[in-house]
Amino acid sequence: MAVKAFSSEWARQFKDEVNASSVYKSAAKGWKWTVGLVVEAEPDKNFPESRGIVMDLFDGTARDITVGTAADAQKCDFVITAPYTRWKQVATKELDATKGILQGKLKMKGDLPTIVRYTKASQEMTECTTRVPVEWPDES
Amino acid sequence: MHDAGPGRMARRKLKTDRSVAFADQEPSAFASMLGGLIDANIENSPAKRKDFDELEARVGIWVTDIDEGVTLEFQRGALVVHNGLKPKRDITIRAEAETVMNLSNLKIGLFGMPVYYDATGRGVALKLLRGKLRIDGMLGNIATVNTVTRIFSVQ
Repeated sequence: MAVKAFSSEWARQFKDEVNASSVYKSAAKGWKWTVGLVVEAEPDKNFPESRGIVMDLFDGTARDITVGTAADAQKCDFVITAPYTRWKQVATKELDATKGILQGKLKMKGDLPTIVRYTKASQEMTECTTRVPVEWPDES
Repeated sequence: MHDAGPGRMARRKLKTDRSVAFADQEPSAFASMLGGLIDANIENSPAKRKDFDELEARVGIWVTDIDEGVTLEFQRGALVVHNGLKPKRDITIRAEAETVMNLSNLKIGLFGMPVYYDATGRGVALKLLRGKLRIDGMLGNIATVNTVTRIFSVQ
């Protein structure tokens, strides 16, 4: 059943997908940093307030994924920021996250060599988001 | 030089204390990322710093699936990153975004040679064989290709 985009239920299902992925488990071995995703508000898309997704990732597992404010996400070791529409494009496979970062469509903050070292893990994490059935606020 | 242009690339005097500078007032996201990556690599590794201090070359990187590129102008201890491909490049790497990222993940083995026999290396070698990764100017500049690979590598 579809869940509301970037809701607590979405975060729970996303965490389950990450923890079910053997590809992620292997590619993210050694990862020990928090990742924050800032989903910027787009009121005209029925997404009126920015949200922050805080991911506590450790050594190939997602210990916790929660939804809070943008400020919560900005405190993480790595922060990726984009408007709601861009994240929707990522989650629906319209936009590859790696390309999005190289094009500046997704803004990334954090230690670059570390994130590059874990490219495969971040790609698989993006794949995990695409496996969560989502009810998009601009489509309801 | 595989890409003979109309003349030498303008060398701007950029006032900066850092080793990496950007030629454009608004560096592209790709330029910022590559410049930042190289900056972090040479800060963290004396071996990469040594390579960086000795390298003089103009390296183009073109990401084929986003139609964006940069020119890296290595000047023995300094780097100027230009948006887009500029003339007079010694080598030009053309590949998809994923392959460009994989190039940064090549391990460096004996004698400072990139490792092509692990999973990442085999993937890169296969792309090269299939023409999905092109390195124009490679033949006369193997040493430069290897040095640039070492500086890029985050491994």
